[in-house]
Amino acid sequence: MKLMELTRRALLASTAAFALGLGVLPAQAQTPEDVLIVGQIAEPKALDPAAVTAVNDFRILMNVYDGLVRYKDGTLEVEPALATDWSISDDGTVYTFNLRNGVTFHDGSAFNAEAVKFNFDRMLDEGHPYHDTGPFPLAFFFSAVEAVEVVDPLTVKFTLNAPYAPFLSNLAYPTGLIVSPAAVAKHGSEFGRNPSGTGPFKFAEWRSNEAVVVEANADYWGGAPELQAVVFRPITDANTRTAEMLAGGIDLMVEVPPVALSEFQGDGFTVHEQAGPHVWFLILNAKEGPFADVRVRQAANYAINKEAIVNDVLEGTAAVAAGPTPPAFAWAYNDSLEPYPYNPDKARELIAAAGAEGAELTFYVTEGGSGMLDPVAMGTAIQADLEAVGLDVKIETYEWNTFLGEVNPGLEGKADMAEMAWMTNDPDTLPFLALRTDAWPDKGGFNSGYYSNPKVDELLEAARASTDQAERARLYQEMQTIVQEDAPWVFVANWKQNAVTSDRVGDFSLQPSFFLLLDDVTKN
Amino acid sequence: MAGYILKRLFSAIPVLLGISIIVFLIMAMIPGDPATAILGSYATPENVEKLNRDLGLDKPLVQRYFIWLGNMLQGDFGRSFSLNRAVLDEVMERFNATLILAGTSFVICSVLGVAAGVVSAARQYGLADKAITFAVLLGISIPSFFLGMMMILIFAVNLRWFPVSGMWPIYGARDLSALLSHLTLPASALAVVATGVIARLSRSAMLEVMRQDFIRTARAKGVHERSVIWRHALRAAMVSIIPVLGIQAGFVLSGAVYIEMVFQWPGVGRMLVDAILKRDILLVQGGVVFVAACYVMFNIAVDVAQGLLDPRIKT
Repeated sequence: MKLMELTRRALLASTAAFALGLGVLPAQAQTPEDVLIVGQIAEPKALDPAAVTAVNDFRILMNVYDGLVRYKDGTLEVEPALATDWSISDDGTVYTFNLRNGVTFHDGSAFNAEAVKFNFDRMLDEGHPYHDTGPFPLAFFFSAVEAVEVVDPLTVKFTLNAPYAPFLSNLAYPTGLIVSPAAVAKHGSEFGRNPSGTGPFKFAEWRSNEAVVVEANADYWGGAPELQAVVFRPITDANTRTAEMLAGGIDLMVEVPPVALSEFQGDGFTVHEQAGPHVWFLILNAKEGPFADVRVRQAANYAINKEAIVNDVLEGTAAVAAGPTPPAFAWAYNDSLEPYPYNPDKARELIAAAGAEGAELTFYVTEGGSGMLDPVAMGTAIQADLEAVGLDVKIETYEWNTFLGEVNPGLEGKADMAEMAWMTNDPDTLPFLALRTDAWPDKGGFNSGYYSNPKVDELLEAARASTDQAERARLYQEMQTIVQEDAPWVFVANWKQNAVTSDRVGDFSLQPSFFLLLDDVTKN
Repeated sequence: MAGYILKRLFSAIPVLLGISIIVFLIMAMIPGDPATAILGSYATPENVEKLNRDLGLDKPLVQRYFIWLGNMLQGDFGRSFSLNRAVLDEVMERFNATLILAGTSFVICSVLGVAAGVVSAARQYGLADKAITFAVLLGISIPSFFLGMMMILIFAVNLRWFPVSGMWPIYGARDLSALLSHLTLPASALAVVATGVIARLSRSAMLEVMRQDFIRTARAKGVHERSVIWRHALRAAMVSIIPVLGIQAGFVLSGAVYIEMVFQWPGVGRMLVDAILKRDILLVQGGVVFVAACYVMFNIAVDVAQGLLDPRIKT
């Protein structure tokens, strides 16, 4: 009996103590003023722009570094940044940049033509003394660069081995951001953890797996930012990120899961959306099987209810895609293109005409992956739509890296269709790497469905070589019309990037580039 | 005793070698290579080949294993390419965080579990026993990651008593109270299942002991009931409870993976999950070997403790 009494007493006492303790616990403190806490999706790999590939890392880098050029606010068109202006030779192979005067890196060293040359030589020249600070996985963005020459301290000249229109756009991409040569020399392979650029924020501290802290650069050539500091917190689990946002532990959250958006409809939050240069599609195997017939490929485009996928599966976080080029590339996009309407009857007619009723199809689906949205749920919805028009679809699901290993070498002999998504910084890269005859997998490209149309090849080659934007636009728009008709893919969705800010955050907007630019943002 | 410990330590060597071979082979066999993971959409065969060369992954498998093993024996676990940092630095830092989480959790589940088991056995079929048995069943049945999410929702989002995630505050002092406030939810969520298991096994171990003659003798001598249970019976029951604690320590350590994901605890479990998804070969291999080594050492320590507690277990 004694024991029981004791336990009961002890239990009561400890419960009371616990309750009291909790009662006096202060509510968790608010985040400080003028310091923006950003909920990121992962720990960055490095803060060396030449060494990283993930959008997650770019979100930090774009605030610490500048490139020679950058994207104009709200667009994917380039404007001057560290270069004030430039000229392009008539044959499109020589670019001469005039550099901004009086800019210094955060470490105090001067920004000049030598620094620009250092940056590109480090990435491209295997004999460069600091090439071993890599690897530089995206250096091939600049593989057309043959030489970088210092004309005078504020003039630098790039010579390309052939005309290459995406060059300027690639310079605006994070891989083209300019790092401090002095800092690279000082830190060597540890530069990625001790970054130094010219941007609106300078690096302050990196606590592994907790936070990257950047502070305002009061001497920024574009004017000091409004915030005192930004803290980037890696929170890989989307549910936990949502909970942190709801609890006030972060002020800004990127990549809100579609199902969580309804949580932020209240007064305390603002949901931001911005269509980006993203396209989600199905690669169809045009070399063999039912999809070798263009009518069956078109039938698949008619049969799949894309409206239902973007509204119900993706909860409105994407728009229906009309063709291979995302509308975010406004100047190159063909506005007259209408998406294939949802028309199962028309699909059945086309399938009957092609004699493909009841055809068995193998469909590669991934479990996740960069830009893949909700691939399993989308794959299942697509399977149901195709079965409704009389095709027998068998899904095979793979983990992302395995999936890429199956799809990139080509679908021949394995599958009839596969999910895929791309996000690029120019309208050139995706069709060039994934729709040309010369981009079949055996030739080192990503045309895993073996689409081939000589006219499209011709248009793509010409558009990439031309430096006249109007001419490029005309060529790309014509290409989109042909490709939509040929239907090498099922064009499904263009993802809208989203973010949530608390009501303490002001002047924030998302960019179509999917980068996060924070120099004008305020917080009280 | 010293000879026994030495013998056990020697027997750990083939175990660890075996683990290093298995984890190396698994990482070599799983589809998808690091270059593809890094390059993503841009993984052309040409780019992949160049990057693999840069990463030193173009050498034959056997050669790579011995280079790795040789370096590791000299204390060089290599460099993680996904974090761009020495593997050993990262693993040590992360393991430290896991130890704090799993260690706290282990203390909670050992103390609560054994206490609940003892009370339950002392009051067999009584109200306390029934209540505890019910609570234990409930605890064992709730998946810890789900419990973790619910705890976040209730105690962090709605009541705001505790922070949602992380180990340290982003701003402010890094003192014990800051750590405890971050530790409370994940450590409790992690402890629940193990507490249940330990309580169940402690109860049956205690019941077994309490039927034995020396307990009757103690009672007959007029020893106070509390003393009979907590001193005589529990001490005897501990011999069969301690191995259970050892096994549960392993479960707590592996269960920490889920909890670390849910609470974004910067531990070694979360590190390994991220590293596998990114095909960060050296980080996965180094992490697994390190954790396995710790686990083996812990088991040796448990066996030694058992020997100390019960001299009959011959060494």
